[in-house]
Amino acid sequence: MSSKADVWQGTLTLMVLRTLETIGPQHGYGLARRIEQTSGDKLALNYGTLYPALLKLEQEGYIRSRWGVSENNRRAKFYELTKAGHRQATKAAAEWEQATEILARFLTPATEA
Amino acid sequence: MRKLRALWMQLLSMLFRGGKEQDFTAELEAHIALCIDDGLRAGLTESEARRQAIIRLGGAEQVRQAHRERRVLLWLENLAQDLRYSLRTFRRSPGFTVTAVLTLGLGIGACTAIFSLVNAVLIRSLPYGNPQKLVYFFAPAPHIKAVPAEALFPGYADLIDIRQQNRSFQNITAYEQTMFNLAEQGIVTHVGAAKVDENFFATLQSSPEIGRAIGAEDNQPGRDKVAVISHSLWTSLFAGHVDVLQHSLFREGVSYRIIGVMPPAFEYPFRTDLPYGDSHIKSTQIWIPLALTPKQKAHRTIDDNIVVARSRQGVPLKRAQAEMTAIMAGLAALHNAERGEPERDLGALVEPFLSTSLGPVRPLMNLLLGAVCLVLLIACGNAGNLLLARAAGRARELGVRAALGAGRGRMIRQLLTESLLIGLGGGAVGIALAFLFLQRLPKLDPGNIPRLSEASLDARVLAVALAVSLLTSVFTGVLPALSASSMQLTDFLKTHGTRGHARGHSRLQSSLIVLQTAMVVVLMASAGLLIRSYINIESVDTGFSRSTITMNIALDARYHDPLQSRAFFKNLIPKIGSKPGVSAAGAVSNLPLSNSESLGFFRVEGYPNQKDQMLESRSVTPRYFQAMNIPLLAGRFFTEEDDSDSLRPVIVNERFAKTYFPSRNSIGGHISTDENQNPPHWNTIIGVVADVRHTSLEAEPEPQAYSPNYDFDHASIAVRSELPSQAVVSSIRATLKNIDPTLVLTDIQTMGDLMSQASARRRFQTSLLSTFAGIALILALVGLYGLMAYSVSRRTREVGIRMALGAQRRSILFLVLRGAAALIGIGLVVGLGSTWVATRLLRSFLFGVNEHDPLTVGLVCALLLGCGLMAALFPAYRAASVDPTQALRTE
Repeated sequence: MSSKADVWQGTLTLMVLRTLETIGPQHGYGLARRIEQTSGDKLALNYGTLYPALLKLEQEGYIRSRWGVSENNRRAKFYELTKAGHRQATKAAAEWEQATEILARFLTPATEA
Repeated sequence: MRKLRALWMQLLSMLFRGGKEQDFTAELEAHIALCIDDGLRAGLTESEARRQAIIRLGGAEQVRQAHRERRVLLWLENLAQDLRYSLRTFRRSPGFTVTAVLTLGLGIGACTAIFSLVNAVLIRSLPYGNPQKLVYFFAPAPHIKAVPAEALFPGYADLIDIRQQNRSFQNITAYEQTMFNLAEQGIVTHVGAAKVDENFFATLQSSPEIGRAIGAEDNQPGRDKVAVISHSLWTSLFAGHVDVLQHSLFREGVSYRIIGVMPPAFEYPFRTDLPYGDSHIKSTQIWIPLALTPKQKAHRTIDDNIVVARSRQGVPLKRAQAEMTAIMAGLAALHNAERGEPERDLGALVEPFLSTSLGPVRPLMNLLLGAVCLVLLIACGNAGNLLLARAAGRARELGVRAALGAGRGRMIRQLLTESLLIGLGGGAVGIALAFLFLQRLPKLDPGNIPRLSEASLDARVLAVALAVSLLTSVFTGVLPALSASSMQLTDFLKTHGTRGHARGHSRLQSSLIVLQTAMVVVLMASAGLLIRSYINIESVDTGFSRSTITMNIALDARYHDPLQSRAFFKNLIPKIGSKPGVSAAGAVSNLPLSNSESLGFFRVEGYPNQKDQMLESRSVTPRYFQAMNIPLLAGRFFTEEDDSDSLRPVIVNERFAKTYFPSRNSIGGHISTDENQNPPHWNTIIGVVADVRHTSLEAEPEPQAYSPNYDFDHASIAVRSELPSQAVVSSIRATLKNIDPTLVLTDIQTMGDLMSQASARRRFQTSLLSTFAGIALILALVGLYGLMAYSVSRRTREVGIRMALGAQRRSILFLVLRGAAALIGIGLVVGLGSTWVATRLLRSFLFGVNEHDPLTVGLVCALLLGCGLMAALFPAYRAASVDPTQALRTE
């Protein structure tokens, strides 16, 4: 566990949006597992922090939720992106890419210069 | 946008909280179940899988809490919780709540009430465009000391020159005050009016709500029979009908076509707008053209006109004053030859309109505001003390909450919520009190404070009341909240939760009491000084009798021949005097205290006469002195024959005799009022009467002279009678109707009424300040009582020990009383120091009493000490009756 990275502040929202965009409607646990898998099991996601983040996104109108049945026949709450959510996912991804690109310039070895 | 949506959702979910909590619990359960499924699939045992699931989640309860906090608006949720909690605690201690709310209510109420007055009088805008630019343009005659500078204005011919020469003023207007006898449907009423030139409305920048204002064409003689009326006359006379412009007003048989109606607030000039205006006119209802004749326009002498000007943009008062001084000096140099003695060398005095019409009331408003601020501070101190005592009483509760993990910020917020609620409650009580005060205001209104009657609880007053409530809440709440929440938790726990509150509490409370006492001393000493001044005014020897009935008769144009008016009064006055029950009747040109004075130059035979020495003079009918009950000191009263006597007899007052006949007998002495004749026509002094306070109750009487006369164009009639004034007046009315049915009696009042009007403002300020001082005293006593009761209850154990060790009950009583006396004593000392400074500001309000009057201050101290000890007596008695065995068992 200790070798795993924590989720950086503010990135969880983006991960949730991108994951939902990729896999479609998913319940909270599935979403958490999927995020861990996507990170190549390098992220230590505290499942508890996922739910307030989901609630915030729902309040902001980026996702909506409804009760459904999971693949192994359990009742669970499924989340899916709204139209605004799709737009927001694209926008946030672009912003993040730009941020990492800028940061990358600082981190690449100075030998190139 | 998205943030707003989220906020809205949070708010909604607070209002409709049903099911949300269960919904999330179900979601969590599903999560855990799914997680366990995965764990089982990976080969864990059921219990291990559950354990892992909960660990990965980070604790179900914590997640639920985090979810809840995100779901709702946390601060609002907390606030609602605090409010609910506060209301619950208030319900548990109604005594505390009611006392605190009422205390603050009294303070806030006093503030709101006085602010509503200040708002009406000083803040609310006047119905004139930019009144800051308006000025009065006086023409003082510095060589005539007896005439105040604000009584004279430049004459018409001078004004025409000033209009052409000046660069400071954008507009200059002149008008005269006049009375209008309105005959409508057989009832004659007297209303104030003004004859105005074409610049009047333009200068004031006020325009009619209906029709048009008086313009240049209306001021042409012959075309001047038009009138603009006030809004209130429009509603009373024409019931607000729109066809008002097709009507006319009739005055002495002449009809004035109505051309305009002014908006509601415009009734300029009010009585208070002019320092020496016509005292019969309270407000102006009709404006008619001045329509000067060519002869009037050529007048270089002082007329009855009043001059108002509007300064040009960017011209400061100083520059306008300098320019006018120069212009008036130039005019004097050119025209002194054509002027009479009094009008030579007229100067210029430019005064802001606002300071003239509001000048005298500004200090009064400041005084009242200062007083209510003190009352509010005392109320705050009281409420603060109550909260402190309560916080100390709740130390256990707060300690338990702190021990259970309540944060300090959260506790302060909770305590402040309580004081906020108390403040708002006080605000509501205060607004209600202010409303009651405004209901009573018409009875208190002295009638000479401009626009006082328009005071109301408008939006600005309510906003100030709310702001004051919030401020007082914070003010009273912060100290108790900080000190209550700053307990040392370990101490609290060590003392088994019996004593946990911070030290210094009681010192803070004591100093609040000391400050309150000091402020009460200041307020009571001020009120005491005003009361003494009022008593002095009331007991002033006015020289006349209060019970004399007076009324005014103004003759119209039909009596312009002196022979006719003389015949009229010679007929009327004796008829009134011979009525059954009437012991004397007389007429006079100007009644005392009627705000009009006739001053003239004079000289005395055989006296080193000064140039410009002046005399108050009055024309009276023979029995005026008996009617007014003015005592004769030497010589004799007038008789019917004196009127036509070639001796030209006069009666002077005592002051005159003492000043001008210091070592001679004044009876038989000669004085003359014509300046230029040589040798003068001498008048012979035949009697000396007592001094009469003519100009005001305050001012010492000046030298006065009376001459016998029956020739008046308007006169005040004084009647002395044993009968009730109603009966006298109606019988006089009948007599007048027989002589001339078109004339009316106006201003019917006793001399006592006139005196009461003259002291009305003093009565107003005295009663308000005394009320505030009374409120302050009661508040301070409640505060003192509260503190003593509280400290006694906290010292029960100590008292018990003292008694167990042999202390007498009496010595316990003294112990408590000594504590109270010490607080009051320090308060008195601080208060006396402040009073010494504060009452100096009162100087202009005092009459016949020194600002450091030892009697007043002594009485205040005695009263405060007495009341204070009374307030402490009950708690002291309770302390003394403590049962030592019981007391030692407590805690």
